[in-house]
Amino acid sequence: MAVNESLRVLRTVHYDATHYSLFLQAGSIGPQTKPGHFAMLQAGDGLRPYLRRAFSIADVSKVAGVPAMEFVVKAVGIGTEALGRFAEGTPIPVLGPLGVPFPLDDLTPSDRVALVAGGIGLAPLVLLARELSLRRISADLFYGGRNEKDVLKRADFERFLGPPRCRYATDDGSLGRKGLVTDLVTQALDGGASYRRLFACGPLPMFRTLAKTVEAAKLDASFALESEMACGFGVCLGCVAPTTDGRFATVCKEGPCLPPSAIDWSRVHG
Amino acid sequence: MSVDLSVRLGRLVLKNPIATASGTFGYGLEFAEFLPLGKLGGISVKGLSLRPCFGNPPPRICETDAGMLNAIGLQNVGVEAFLSEKLPELERLGATVIANVWGDMEDDYVAVVERIGGDRRVAAIELNVSCPNVVKGGLIFGNNPTALGALVRRVRGATPLPLIVKLSPNVTDITATAKASVDNGADILSLINTLVGLSIDIETRQPRIGFTTGGLSGPAIRPVAVRMVWEVRKALPKVPIFGIGGIESVEHVVEFLIAGADAVQVGTANFRDPTISARLVDDLARWCEAHGIRRVADLTGTLKTRPRPEHRFG
Repeated sequence: MAVNESLRVLRTVHYDATHYSLFLQAGSIGPQTKPGHFAMLQAGDGLRPYLRRAFSIADVSKVAGVPAMEFVVKAVGIGTEALGRFAEGTPIPVLGPLGVPFPLDDLTPSDRVALVAGGIGLAPLVLLARELSLRRISADLFYGGRNEKDVLKRADFERFLGPPRCRYATDDGSLGRKGLVTDLVTQALDGGASYRRLFACGPLPMFRTLAKTVEAAKLDASFALESEMACGFGVCLGCVAPTTDGRFATVCKEGPCLPPSAIDWSRVHG
Repeated sequence: MSVDLSVRLGRLVLKNPIATASGTFGYGLEFAEFLPLGKLGGISVKGLSLRPCFGNPPPRICETDAGMLNAIGLQNVGVEAFLSEKLPELERLGATVIANVWGDMEDDYVAVVERIGGDRRVAAIELNVSCPNVVKGGLIFGNNPTALGALVRRVRGATPLPLIVKLSPNVTDITATAKASVDNGADILSLINTLVGLSIDIETRQPRIGFTTGGLSGPAIRPVAVRMVWEVRKALPKVPIFGIGGIESVEHVVEFLIAGADAVQVGTANFRDPTISARLVDDLARWCEAHGIRRVADLTGTLKTRPRPEHRFG
């Protein structure tokens, strides 16, 4: 059940000028969180930014022994910039956990799954990697970014999944293979890799390519979609994505984790 | 001191003047995990049409300074699904339900209102004649007093329930559409709906929402809404009014009441904080107590204007 509560900033870790991890008190949201859930965060109590911002709950862990929720953020506008500037102890209104998480209940330790992240799309996959490791389900990570700085939290992924299972791609070749993360996935599938399910989060071009890849490979998949949201709980109807059955699905309530076959990618705006 | 928060809008009696605005509160049930729905004065549900409506292609919303633009396109489950799937649960939870309805043409409005008829689980019907985000209908009625009057007259004949007309601010003189509504059988007026706006991504030079223009809501529009409530109150002193537009705090509620509203509807603030409407009920009781107000209804229409100068100085 979603909770509306005020949670204090425990720590902010800046990776570079635009990327950071925001650690908040876990409150009663953290213990309820499953991989793929998200939360709405209010950046300050003023009127700018006016609306809350939606973020994947990247991890549920501890900061100096205090139960914490982690949000991995890329500063792209006034909301994401403001959230990175709050001092330790600042209370932040948080609504969560929200949405439909990744489908995991039918997985068993004999299954092998794939995790695909593009850029800041790593966020929901950190907690997923932690959960898979707890359940002893083996997973291959394919993670791409523009350059090495774009590829965050590698130590966590490698700790949860094992370093050999983590493969990277960058546009400039500064980390892993030079090229797109979707090429890594195609290469693995062509090489005979098979997965019970593929989980992905990233930018629209990555989703478009990956949707075709999983369809061609008849691979079961769940994509954590991103959309601008006003409310986050199915009321404003602002975040919708076009579906293959000709209607619009709320990314916040019916998603964010949806099978790519449900989405009409030709009508998704970019 | 106990404060009487109840308000009477003609035949519509509310336990308190805090209602929620259509389009910002879903069908109410989405908020049941955040607040007791029965605590609110009323809930105006997402605009209902005769058949389900899928709405506009995204992007549908964008944030603006102290507000947002939306062009959802009146996506809704349709009146049948509302009556069979939503209304029984709303009744069980003790909600006071205002059914907001819309159509493309007069006949569509009449059909959806006839379908609700005199359903006792519905406290009032609110006509949306002011949605700026659909190609047909909506605003065609909202800014034309003659067309609006004809529509209200036909709808009036289709239901015995209290009839609210939700007015558009996208007009030169809101008292003209207010009078046309009341002259043709509206019991209550609600105002304002959103103001038509446009926001542009200057890098792509594209509108930031798919429909090009959208409806502006949030604190940015509040002074416009308060002014229009005051104008309608002056023009039609006996007609009950729901004030709507950028309400975020108890001070804003009181401001609308002083301007002439009998009750208010909280809108976009529900997105930012789903618990705000219930909190405003408590805040209003405390505010009245602190200000020695025994009946909240006594605040309505108590604006003390200064005399306007009759000639220009200087």
